[in-house]
Amino acid sequence: MKIKFNSKYLMSAVVAAASGMAMANADVEKNIADSKNWAMQAGDMYNQRHSSLSQINAGNVGKMQVAWTFSTGVLRGHEGSPLVIGDTMYIHSAFPNKVFAVDLATQKIKWKYEPKQDPAVIPQMCCDTVNRGVAYAEGKVFLQQADSNLVAIDAKTGKEVWKTKNGDPKLGAVNTNAPHVFKDKVITGIAGGEWGVRGFLAAYDIKTGKQVWKGYNVGPDAEMLMDPDKTMTWTDGAMKPVGKDSSLKTWKGDQWKIGGATTWGWYSYDKALNAVFYGSGNPSTWNPSQRPGDNKWSMSIWSRDVDTGKVNWVYQMTPFDEWDFDGINEMILADIKVKGKDTKALVHFDRNGFAYTMDRTTGALLVAEKFDPKVNWATHVDMKTGRPQVVAKYSTAQNGPDKNTKGVCPAALGSKDQQPASFDPKTGLFHVPTNHVCMDYEPFKVEYTAGQPYVGATLAMFPAPGSHGGMGNFITWDAGTGKIVQSKPEKFSVWSGAMTTAGGISCYGTLEGYLKCVDSKDITKELYKFKTPSGIIGNVFTYEFKGKQYIGVYSGIGGWAGIGLAAGLEKDADGLGAVGGYKELAQYTELGGSLTIFALPGQ
Amino acid sequence: MNMDMMKKLLALAVFAMAGGMVIISPLAGAADWPPPLKEPLYKVVDGVQVDPDTMQGFRVWRQAACDRCHGPEQQGLVGPSLLESLKTLTYQEFAVTIRDGRLEKGMQSFGTSEQVMNNIAKLYAYLKGRSDGAIKRAKVQELESAESK
Repeated sequence: MKIKFNSKYLMSAVVAAASGMAMANADVEKNIADSKNWAMQAGDMYNQRHSSLSQINAGNVGKMQVAWTFSTGVLRGHEGSPLVIGDTMYIHSAFPNKVFAVDLATQKIKWKYEPKQDPAVIPQMCCDTVNRGVAYAEGKVFLQQADSNLVAIDAKTGKEVWKTKNGDPKLGAVNTNAPHVFKDKVITGIAGGEWGVRGFLAAYDIKTGKQVWKGYNVGPDAEMLMDPDKTMTWTDGAMKPVGKDSSLKTWKGDQWKIGGATTWGWYSYDKALNAVFYGSGNPSTWNPSQRPGDNKWSMSIWSRDVDTGKVNWVYQMTPFDEWDFDGINEMILADIKVKGKDTKALVHFDRNGFAYTMDRTTGALLVAEKFDPKVNWATHVDMKTGRPQVVAKYSTAQNGPDKNTKGVCPAALGSKDQQPASFDPKTGLFHVPTNHVCMDYEPFKVEYTAGQPYVGATLAMFPAPGSHGGMGNFITWDAGTGKIVQSKPEKFSVWSGAMTTAGGISCYGTLEGYLKCVDSKDITKELYKFKTPSGIIGNVFTYEFKGKQYIGVYSGIGGWAGIGLAAGLEKDADGLGAVGGYKELAQYTELGGSLTIFALPGQ
Repeated sequence: MNMDMMKKLLALAVFAMAGGMVIISPLAGAADWPPPLKEPLYKVVDGVQVDPDTMQGFRVWRQAACDRCHGPEQQGLVGPSLLESLKTLTYQEFAVTIRDGRLEKGMQSFGTSEQVMNNIAKLYAYLKGRSDGAIKRAKVQELESAESK
């Protein structure tokens, strides 16, 4: 076993060394360094979503106007954002995952790529047929299609360069995540936790599309690319080796084979550590009684070597999940002061309502605090064991199957879902779009059938009781101390990625369809607001073209927030008062994918 | 009821799907599929207590996670309201839709789910009871066995 493991990753190291590394890194780095571009989904490899452009600033953003708009021709939810490289914008859509290359000078479509995909994948995509956008490197655009095909498209011609299959959609293994280019590899994950898909992260060679490594999140050590002696985890207040069979020991029987822990979020990369960081999702099923144990390493933060996939360290946030608190949200890398000490940190706002600050080099747990005061399922995270202290009343496992556990905060969609936060280096604060929603959760026994849903709980969601009645907040967070600095209430979940700029503004979208820009020093001060054609679940981005700065965002309601939440709340028997608020979403918005680009008036 | 026949036909359907073929609906032509409905279709007491078969229909509804698209109270979500749909869909149309799906619209095929295919009449009874308004909420309980017999 061990010999096989070692030789396996020796092999991938050789493959990596032979395939001319550092080129892609150089190209992507060059594109990122030029702040006129929006070269990656988060603008950079650290997932900071911050731009150094400042033409549009706190003083003039109020005068911003719409410069141009673009319809993708697709109705369903639009997440992610376009990329801008030089004079071209790369725009993507929800299923069928069209990609448009648009000439910024004329707004003319240079080419359009529309894959043919089996419509059978549509119903297999949990929570709407979203796609979180493309990646760009070395003259190629990378698209991670819904049907799991990863495609490299020639950025000049729109022609397919290579295509590789990343999963089996017949078993529910589909994709919604954006591919990420780090070094000479495209890193991608998989979705399908509600179909019993076993999660992994995989790396493909950007030139050939050949798989370089694939590391599972659950199962035998060798298949996770985990070294029992070298892979570290937070144990009794210090970093210690995970030991042999760290995952297998925490599952009953073969449940891990259909155990979930998928990877549909946003990944980041630290060149100095040569490490990729990401989160793993919920264990399958949603009925905890069917999978006793910690279910490692679902619900975890991961650091892997980008060349070999070998696991440097891993930390499980929610052992034995009982609420569907996927750990897939973005990992933001930032060099900040943590409890007064300069730290190369990783900051993560989890679905479970806790924000984690880790030492990204070692994996040590530094801070774990609630970023919504209403979070009630755990009192706190024990900093020695790293385990959340679960409140019995809200334990869906202790209450058992066919019992409705009421009033759990947050709801399954988390205090924050995938909508990524931004780090503002000027203030040192994180700007976080959040949900303010609670739930009733009733697990029940399910049987596994390959290619059929494998869920095992019904739930009802409602605005956090005893609060402002809305279901979202836009907050600023001090990750060094674990405290909310400011909180701006929103009527609906803020399901749009935030962006901060050197111009002192912080922008995000709302489910009603408003693009809002606030003062990054005082986020309660709304400086700009504009109603786009549909609800916003996309991420705000910015770029400069011919001396002028632009800000853009997709609108196109959908996703779990837009459809699932809004309609799921039309339950008349809630008795919690604020249900009317959700029904109101229908008064603001309808479906429709489009892009709105803003700029200051004048030439 | 002819369960053996049912299983054979189901196996045929599974085979057809595994081969990735267009389903020529071997079942639709079969005289005994979908299986006949019971008389009366369902029994309800106090709007929430139902006979064992209808209870089984509810369990299948949950197992198949229909609520993810049709809403926790069947009121419609990404998918249409079944409270409305079952007012117009015939039992035959209902069964075929579940077996084959409506892929373009996002409705999957449940043809490979034994749970669903073996209980299609019971699932119909439960959902029809909801659509008729006789069953007052999605979550139901089984009638005391003495009463149900």
